[in-house]
Amino acid sequence: MILINYLKSTILSKFVMAITGVILVLFVIGHCVGNLQVFLGKDAFNSYAYFLQERLGELLWLIRIGLIAAAVFHIITSVWLKFLNWGAKPTKYQVKNYVKARLTSRTMIWTGIMIFAFLTYHILHFTMGVVHPEDYNKTDYYVTNAVSVDKVNNGTLNDTEGSDECCAEGTATNAKESIINYNGSMYKVEGDEPILSERHDAYAMVISGFQKPLVSILYIIGVILLGFHLNHAIQSSFQTLGYNNPKYFPKIVAGSTILSILIVLCYIAIPISILLGLVGGRV
Amino acid sequence: MRLKLFIWRQKNAQDKGHMEKYPVDDVQEDMSFLEMLDVLNEKLILEGKEPVAFDHDCREGICGACSLTINGIPHGHEKGTTTCQLHMRKFKDGDTIYIEPFRAKAFPVIKDLVVDRSAFERIMQAGGFISVNTGNAIEANSLPIPKKNAELAMDAAQCIGCGACVAACPNAAAMLFVSAKVSQFALLPQGQPERKRRVLAMVNQMEKEGFGACTNFYECEAACPKQISVRFIAMMNRDYLCSRVSEPVEV
Ligand code: HEM
Ligand code: SF4
Ligand code: FES
Repeated sequence: MILINYLKSTILSKFVMAITGVILVLFVIGHCVGNLQVFLGKDAFNSYAYFLQERLGELLWLIRIGLIAAAVFHIITSVWLKFLNWGAKPTKYQVKNYVKARLTSRTMIWTGIMIFAFLTYHILHFTMGVVHPEDYNKTDYYVTNAVSVDKVNNGTLNDTEGSDECCAEGTATNAKESIINYNGSMYKVEGDEPILSERHDAYAMVISGFQKPLVSILYIIGVILLGFHLNHAIQSSFQTLGYNNPKYFPKIVAGSTILSILIVLCYIAIPISILLGLVGGRV
Repeated sequence: MRLKLFIWRQKNAQDKGHMEKYPVDDVQEDMSFLEMLDVLNEKLILEGKEPVAFDHDCREGICGACSLTINGIPHGHEKGTTTCQLHMRKFKDGDTIYIEPFRAKAFPVIKDLVVDRSAFERIMQAGGFISVNTGNAIEANSLPIPKKNAELAMDAAQCIGCGACVAACPNAAAMLFVSAKVSQFALLPQGQPERKRRVLAMVNQMEKEGFGACTNFYECEAACPKQISVRFIAMMNRDYLCSRVSEPVEV
């Protein structure tokens, strides 16, 4: 109960909205930058996914718990405040004209709830593989202890075909500095023996997910709703946290709009490029 | 000018109330909005009907008594103007005008367009003052105040407590009013001794009265006849949080 004592004060509640909101905004930006690596190709994207899933270890769960807590408090507080605010204005005007309130600010709870629905779907899809499991259960084989090289001038080429198991076996006894061919890519072996490893094929998952037009459209709508939410939210959090300087605030309001549009464009670039076949044309 | 008025009629606090239509013909352009209602009321009295009850006092934009929501905007669409200072030349012949009372749970309707705004008085009683011994005024130069602070404090002190900010806010939040009343003292040396206690007590009373929470719609600023800036709300948010963590006394 002590955890939700702050709800007794509307100003403290707003602080909680703003702070949890800012945490979520930072995540949204970080997540966006990470996702844009899909344009760098399969290897970059999958090693990023591997880094998040396997290398971070406990840290990943710490971040996840932090984000879940932020989302939970954000949602509880927003619903609480919404009911309080409805109660404070029991009789509506017969005729109402808004001067400064905009569509985005008046629909925060509705864009918020739709974002929540979208987020649930997104986690079930790409994080847990519950919906569209066919996207999720993909494996990527890759070579460790080797770095990929684009051009091979004078290395020894192992004339192995790109079939999954053979290559690593075939090159396992090679000396240092040898070049191997795996799946059509060249790798320069450094140090120890090259090993063929498996990892979750996040790249193929994203591609096959977004190649379904309906799924892509759902994601695009979800992200646009997020953009509406953020358009009001980013500048609002400055005001709530007590920063409103007449010289800079108009710039913060403009920045809020620009940043929210930028976030939307970066996110929707991914499903759109995949739908158009610009990325991952052949998976 | 001929106008078609729709006015909220409500016999008393218990009555449900409804909009009623009143055509008026003999409106002059240089009448104020309240004078236009006076003309209507005289006509109603002559007809033996109940005149429309509305609040007013100074009729020169300084007392904050006049409280009408005109076409969905408290004090009407004219920027930085109270209802009593709004003139009929701002309307066109043949216009339809909707007149409603200020709406908020904390401002219950007493009759027709009159609402009870004593919630504001109780907020002021909770902390909207400084405690000083009366006597001779002190030598002005013995208390230096930065010009910037003096100006900002005067901006905040322009608030006439009319309640339009609450009426305009979709959440019926009183943040603009309370922040103006808190900041006018927080910016001046005379306000410092009770600064923390004041913001905590006034916000506490504001919440007890059933005003809503701020969602940063900024409708209050748009409706305010004294154009108080929402910047004071940001200042109060800061002041409130600092006082919550540093003031040990329960208020
Ligand atoms: C990625 C997801 C989200 C992000 C980044 C985000 C971000 C933000 C931010 C920064 C604010 C501004 C706080 C302020 O006004 O000071 C805000 C406000 C708000 N959020 Fe979210 N939010 C997210 C999801 C949600 C969800 C799922 C809901 C509801 C179910 C929601 C409901 C609201 C509401 C109602 C407000 C306005 C609260 C108020 O001003 O009283 N948000 N959000
Ligand atoms: S802040 Fe403006 S609108 Fe609110 S009570 Fe004061 S003068 Fe009226
Ligand atoms: S009657 Fe005094 S401000 Fe309008």
